[in-house]
Amino acid sequence: MTAVTEPMELSRPRWRTTVATPQFASLAILALVLVVFAVGNPNFLSPLNISNMVAYLPELGIIALGMTLLLTAGEFDLSVGAVFALGPVVVMLLAQNGIVDIGPALLIGLLVCVAIGAINGLIVTKIGISSFLVTLSMLLIVRGAALYITQGFPLKSWDQPGFFVTLLAGSFELGSFRLYTSLWWFIALTLLAAYTLNYSKLGNWISAIGSNRNAAIARGVPADTVKIWLFILTSVLAGLAGMISAFRISAASPVAGTGYELEVIAMVVVGGTALTGGHGTIFGTIVGAIMLRAIRNGIVLVGVPGLAFNIFVGAIILVMLILHAMIRNRSTRR
Amino acid sequence: MTAEVLRLANLRKSFGSVSALKDASMTLREGEVVALLGDNGAGKSTLIKAISGVHPVDGGEIFVRGRKVSIRSARDAMDLGIETIHQDTSLAPDLSIARNLFLGREPVTLPFLGVFAPLDFTELRRAASALLKRVGISKNLNADALVNTLSGGERQSIAISRAMQFAAKVIILDEPTNNLGVEETHGVLRFVKEVRDAGHTVLFITHNIHHVFQVADRLVVMRHGEIVAEQVVADTDLLTVESIIMGADMSTLLGGSKNHAEAAG
Repeated sequence: MTAVTEPMELSRPRWRTTVATPQFASLAILALVLVVFAVGNPNFLSPLNISNMVAYLPELGIIALGMTLLLTAGEFDLSVGAVFALGPVVVMLLAQNGIVDIGPALLIGLLVCVAIGAINGLIVTKIGISSFLVTLSMLLIVRGAALYITQGFPLKSWDQPGFFVTLLAGSFELGSFRLYTSLWWFIALTLLAAYTLNYSKLGNWISAIGSNRNAAIARGVPADTVKIWLFILTSVLAGLAGMISAFRISAASPVAGTGYELEVIAMVVVGGTALTGGHGTIFGTIVGAIMLRAIRNGIVLVGVPGLAFNIFVGAIILVMLILHAMIRNRSTRR
Repeated sequence: MTAEVLRLANLRKSFGSVSALKDASMTLREGEVVALLGDNGAGKSTLIKAISGVHPVDGGEIFVRGRKVSIRSARDAMDLGIETIHQDTSLAPDLSIARNLFLGREPVTLPFLGVFAPLDFTELRRAASALLKRVGISKNLNADALVNTLSGGERQSIAISRAMQFAAKVIILDEPTNNLGVEETHGVLRFVKEVRDAGHTVLFITHNIHHVFQVADRLVVMRHGEIVAEQVVADTDLLTVESIIMGADMSTLLGGSKNHAEAAG
């Protein structure tokens, strides 16, 4: 290896450079949060409670994976919460009115998500409007569409078990834990996203685009195409998460996922991904997703009034971001 | 006279109703450093963006080693051996030196996976370290270090080394000494000479005429989207060049004071 030729003064011990990164700071805080909750209420670590947390985790976590890649490339998507609702609403409407079978209905639902992501991406890259404005408008359009086509009412439950329902929302027992198949989706997608970002050629492009778009373009990286596909990916993952959720609770609501866009972005930045692009970490996003889920669950268990919940969530996020900023300022030259 | 490497014939480019480039023609020869001068808005940036494929031209012809070529993208330019180091925008600061050196040309294993192909990290580090050593900046740089931990001069050196590594015929430098300290500026200028001595042709865009006299063999002056003068550096002087850039006869403006040129030089 090349390490032999490295000068002594620059080669800090490897463990120190690894630990002094935002994602490991997040991991330390997560461990602290878990310990506090476990001490505060022993039920926090009961199989039932862990099963509950793990049941919800993949739904926001899957969206967070797409959002991590998108943020790393320097863009974000505020329409994911609305897509989370519209995707399953389209599927249920088609399937329940007997227009198409459930399989094709799922496919059409995902194609609607592809279209939404493509429109977001094309407007952001080709017309040059910031992703904040484009996806904020898209949030209203998509949410409005979900409300209009359902006339504002949740769709009646889907009660015909079958291959696709099992595939998306089947459950199984593992010891005293009750787990959902969505967990497998989450794990598989996590591995795929982590591989892509850290080890593939595409991952190098994504980071470079977010870090310095003009430099990436000057090296022949197709920045616009990559961004458009990341918008499509994020949108499709939001729709898929919505479908998983809808099948799990056997209902599709046009107001499902309200506010999810901010919660997902919070998960991603709490994990250590830079909001300004260039630096993304899937590992950190997983930590962030578990952290927000654990806080949401644990704060109630340790006796904080439910209405005070957001104070703690906000405060913890702020602490994380301050920590990340301190780590970054110390290690870089501007 | 050495062989012609790049020839531009009557390049034209407009942005809306603004003609940024009208009828620009010039020739670059093997192993020379050519300085491209001109005031703000003279068309220097447009010209190099045309050659590097960032903004393809509206009309005119480009020849590489006598062969007519079409440059429609950054990739086209790179494939023709034209490497451009854009001002302040050549590197991705959040990526390591090694990843930056190979950005857009990543060595991969399993290439059939397309953009999902895994990077060949062993090759990436080996090549990056070899390169850093070859260009003489390995002493205190680790190929895995992030670019945002480097100084401005180190970043320029990395960017120029990257251009050299792909055996570029023509290396275009857009104000490479901008925002650099005195010592770092000298480092970069020395590096430019080394690049020429290694056989590359360098097109060097700058506002600083003193730098031209230190490293360039020839100079080309642009004004209002046109090339208004081409001179051999050894045959001219600072005052003459300044007056061409300004589009006025500086010697009359300054009362014919030769001292000014000497003082400024």
